[in-house]
Amino acid sequence: MDVNDLGTVDYREAVDVQHFFRDQRIEGKIEDTLIVAEHYPVVTLGRTSGEDSIIDAAYFEDLGIEIIPAGRGGKNTYHAPGQVLLYPVIDIGAKKRKDISYYIDFLETTVARSLGRIGVAAERTGRRGVWSGGRKIAFIGIAVRKWVTFHGASININNGIEAFGHMAPCGETDITVTSAKEILGYEPDMNEFKAILADQFEMDMKEYYRGAGEEKIKVG
Amino acid sequence: MEIKLPGISGRNGDAILTSWYFSESEFVSEGENLVEVVTDKAAFDIQSPCSGVLERICKKEGEKISVNDLLAEINENGSRNG
Repeated sequence: MDVNDLGTVDYREAVDVQHFFRDQRIEGKIEDTLIVAEHYPVVTLGRTSGEDSIIDAAYFEDLGIEIIPAGRGGKNTYHAPGQVLLYPVIDIGAKKRKDISYYIDFLETTVARSLGRIGVAAERTGRRGVWSGGRKIAFIGIAVRKWVTFHGASININNGIEAFGHMAPCGETDITVTSAKEILGYEPDMNEFKAILADQFEMDMKEYYRGAGEEKIKVG
Repeated sequence: MEIKLPGISGRNGDAILTSWYFSESEFVSEGENLVEVVTDKAAFDIQSPCSGVLERICKKEGEKISVNDLLAEINENGSRNG
């Protein structure tokens, strides 16, 4: 599967790239594609962010960090360098399981297994996202147009997590956030993790969508 | 033609209607994005299955909706110029 690493980019720039790939995928001009990126510090508000999306706006304003709307599901979250963004552009309409929850289950599984491969014990629970030792380490928020996915998952690897204490991530007030760095006590290699993530994604896609269109995935 | 919420999520059929891309009396072409719903961490665009005039919007923005709920009616005999 093609993997496009955007490096560290402004959030809006990554959205533009996703829209381009999404539209190309809808038109059948490209195969399923993965985008990975890091973002300069920003708070994004998903499509269901509301009054319950508690944000200490003054904290972010003092740091010069923008709070901007995002065209994905879910509520608010925070991005910063050291956090890996996974934006799969996948035509799930071409596969047997046209089911958004199933796709999110798959996405969470891939993230948890990828974290496991760098020594971070992570799991899915009854709540959305990926968790490690009861603390949230990855966040999900996707969008789908004509059954082609965009947006995706953000995974705390080496980023600072203090900012999450000044908001209710995903609208949840009862959670603690962690990172791979906090759990491991050192900074894992970002490029190595991105490569693992892409590899795991491809393997899990075959598992989750076996016999359901994987022939459309270009390998190599 | 009746526009209903399709089954897009196996876990939970409930969703929130977040945004209409058209207003009543406007002409919609087949395949255009008609309405956005949000379900289970996902924002999902529903396309119009036909061309015609958006005659009646049955669910407002912010309303909770379930699979097979009637969202709108499109008059396929309506023209772009009314």
